[in-house]
Amino acid sequence: MAQTSADTVAVAAPTAGPRTSVVALLGFGFIWAFLILFLVYPLTRIFYDAFTNEAGQFTLVNFQEFFTDRFYLRSLWHSILLGVGTVVTTSVIGIVVAFLLIRYEFPFRNLFSYLTLIPIISPPLVGVLGFVFILGRAGTVNVLLMDYFDLLKPINFMYGLHGVLLVETLHLFPMITLNILDALAKVDPSLEEAAESVGARGWRKTWDITLPLTTPGYISGALLVFIWTFADFVTPLVLGVHDLLASQAYLNIVQFVDRRLFRMGIVISALLVLLAIVFLLAARHYVAIKDYSSLAYSKVERRRLGPVKRWLTVGFLGLLMFASFIPHIGVTLAAFGKGWSLTPFPVQYTLAFFERVSVETPKFILNTFLYSGLAVVVCILVGVPMAWVLARTQAPGKDLLDAMTTLILAIPGTAIGIAYIRAFHFPLPGIGVPLTSMWIILPLVLAVRRLPYTVRGSFSSLLLVHKSLEEAAGSVGATKLRTFWDVTLPLVWKGILVGSLFSFMTSIQEASATLFLTLGGWEMIPVGIFTFYIAGSQSEAAALGFILIVVAALSLLVINRVAGTRMGGMFG
Amino acid sequence: MSGRWKLLGAVLVAVLMAAGPAAAQQIEDELVLITPVSKFIHDAALKEFAQYAKEKWGITVKTNALAAGTPVAYGRIVEWKGKPEVDIFWGGESALFDKLAEQKLMAKLELPKEAWEAIPATIGKPKPIFLKDPKGFWVGTALEPYGLVYHPRLFQRLGIPEPKDWDDLLNPKLKGNVAQCAPTRSSSSHATYEVILQQSGDEKGWEWLKRLAANSGIFTARSRDVPSVVAKGEFAAGFAVPSYMAFEERLAGFDIKFVAPKTAWITPEPMGILAGAKHPKAARAFVEFLLTERGQRVFMERGLFPITPKYKVQGPPGSTAEMAVEFTGGVRSYFDREVTNIYDDDKAQKRYKEVNEQYRKDIEAVWEDLKKKY
Repeated sequence: MAQTSADTVAVAAPTAGPRTSVVALLGFGFIWAFLILFLVYPLTRIFYDAFTNEAGQFTLVNFQEFFTDRFYLRSLWHSILLGVGTVVTTSVIGIVVAFLLIRYEFPFRNLFSYLTLIPIISPPLVGVLGFVFILGRAGTVNVLLMDYFDLLKPINFMYGLHGVLLVETLHLFPMITLNILDALAKVDPSLEEAAESVGARGWRKTWDITLPLTTPGYISGALLVFIWTFADFVTPLVLGVHDLLASQAYLNIVQFVDRRLFRMGIVISALLVLLAIVFLLAARHYVAIKDYSSLAYSKVERRRLGPVKRWLTVGFLGLLMFASFIPHIGVTLAAFGKGWSLTPFPVQYTLAFFERVSVETPKFILNTFLYSGLAVVVCILVGVPMAWVLARTQAPGKDLLDAMTTLILAIPGTAIGIAYIRAFHFPLPGIGVPLTSMWIILPLVLAVRRLPYTVRGSFSSLLLVHKSLEEAAGSVGATKLRTFWDVTLPLVWKGILVGSLFSFMTSIQEASATLFLTLGGWEMIPVGIFTFYIAGSQSEAAALGFILIVVAALSLLVINRVAGTRMGGMFG
Repeated sequence: MSGRWKLLGAVLVAVLMAAGPAAAQQIEDELVLITPVSKFIHDAALKEFAQYAKEKWGITVKTNALAAGTPVAYGRIVEWKGKPEVDIFWGGESALFDKLAEQKLMAKLELPKEAWEAIPATIGKPKPIFLKDPKGFWVGTALEPYGLVYHPRLFQRLGIPEPKDWDDLLNPKLKGNVAQCAPTRSSSSHATYEVILQQSGDEKGWEWLKRLAANSGIFTARSRDVPSVVAKGEFAAGFAVPSYMAFEERLAGFDIKFVAPKTAWITPEPMGILAGAKHPKAARAFVEFLLTERGQRVFMERGLFPITPKYKVQGPPGSTAEMAVEFTGGVRSYFDREVTNIYDDDKAQKRYKEVNEQYRKDIEAVWEDLKKKY
């Protein structure tokens, strides 16, 4: 496409330079103002807290306390161990799945490629509960074993670090799969053919040629898996594991009585952010926004598998998918079941829980759509221009802008939530009300958290539209608006849509950042899940979780239709 | 002469007070709570109040509740520094209300005399439990004990009799089947740990707590999770408070039971209005409403006990009220029975941090070792 219009480029007259640059400058300033105000400033605030004492004087005592406390050190060690462990398990599963999906032809391949996306959907809290309902001490599996196989004591699948590892692995392996798929699809087949022509086959070829080429995609996926596991506090808490950094941060903060513990919670949050930044810097070459210019994927010849291998593949993927759907099955059963205890499946069924969370208190669902919708609007307003700056300009500070979007992906949600409370709890000049008292803070924090997806989605599609196409339209007399409408938009809408939908899908599941910021009446579904769970109504929590799963799965279906498997770049 | 004038003054005040709400007083059309009391209870109370306000003043009150554990609620109130986002703090231990009053974060209640005096000053011996604040910053709303929940079918499966007292949790057959919450995470659990410590003395008490930890299969993040995991059958028993924890599970169809050992502490579920509240009149009206018969009935129908001897939990057979009586082992009112209390809240509050610190060091940090040792 680009070549055919190349010769018109020279003819295109540059249009109104100065005016555009004023607009561009304003836009550029707007983006930076947004990022500084809603990302940089709050984060500096928690670092300020971490390095000062109650009197506001600079001190390193907080960190000294952390690094001399054996319990905290053990938490740090366990967190790293768990993070590394999850990277290993997700890598093994994720890579195998990616290779199978892209290189081989077998029955239900397309279905599986959609299903591999689903585990990413995991409504906060009830996702883990779903696991417990099926694999807990009184879960379906143990009850069946005890009732029909005379097992005396339940097998402990869940409570402990191994349970956390299981949950994180089955939740996060798609992150690796998607990144590898993305990278594999871009490997030029001619390279592999070249390797074959000089006699490198099978594993040798894979080892020498294919793997190195997929490394960047893999690293960024692995980093995300690591940081996600590192920052997750809900899963370990439900499973009774407290000696992890994220759990300690959360537990210390939610107990407000002891001011010293509270400060330690903030110190640990700051430490989580700091470590995330360190890991990010260590992998910075791999995680920067990717060059999507080769988005025109190379056609991959899929090899047909023999009958035995074919069904082995289907069996393996089927089993894996089944395991990954354990939380969703558990949540569904708990949402419709009544008084489910010590039986393999609920004995009584009811719709009462759905009635309670939707008809009686519709605010959860309404707030979710309102706030997430607004967040997506903000994501588009800030993210699309940002993508444009990244894709089309040589503006100074471009790299930093890119680094910021990546940083957002790495920062634990709780840290952002805490940072917002600390940073915005003062009466705004002119209004006299603090930002923390206005519900608009929720869409704002969601927008900041989910901005990277919109940016990345838009960025990739903007790269696809060669500038010369727009210039060609201009040269034949089309106005800028007309050009945008007729040329640019039809070409980029897909990317923006996919990015925005992804921002939306992840926004509706966000709990960690909003948990501390939510005041009565503002509850979205995830916080509603927490509220019901805290109030002990697991069934209502499960009903909300079920609604969340359905909405998110529909969003993913649309994303999958529009974008195919090319979603890997969103994450890394 | 002056005596007469005083009397006249008192009568005038009484008349004004009685007439006030009906005639002149208009309340704000919004009310927000922060509370550890379960949604099941606070939703019902707010709903009933909204209806009452509609009937009485023709005002539609928009009500809202911020659900939070007691320590979290306390912490947020402190954090708001006198500019609270909510009007009322409700539930938990009264000592925290005293602490807030000391920091000038509570407003005086100034309730009508009759309602105030219908509530006895204290309950229980040898250590009296205060049911209202002598200084007037908080008032009890309902009574309930901090006791034990258990899963009867699971006890059957394990082949042990249903628990009656704290010591039954130490049964070796329950190994790995007890769920508990660390005292740092829950003020109600903390209070129960203190009951044990004060009952058996420090040395024996700590030994007891270690043995309990050795019998535990999980430390939950919040005390509210204990009845949840017990209801589900994941674990067999643990500490709990009936209304804002366990009774709801019973209503949700779970097979779960509650028992209050003899020395179980009883909370008056204190309620107070925050200093600087945006809707002080609505808040006061709400407190007053809860102390009326109609307000108390909201509690009595949901597993709590009345704060005054005037009422008893009673209902038609099969009603929620009767279920509550059965659930808590036949109690209809705490005023028609001997209440034993050995828990000294002053003592507990004074060493709150030390107990937490010791628990963290001697039990939480070495939990794995304890499990092997006992």
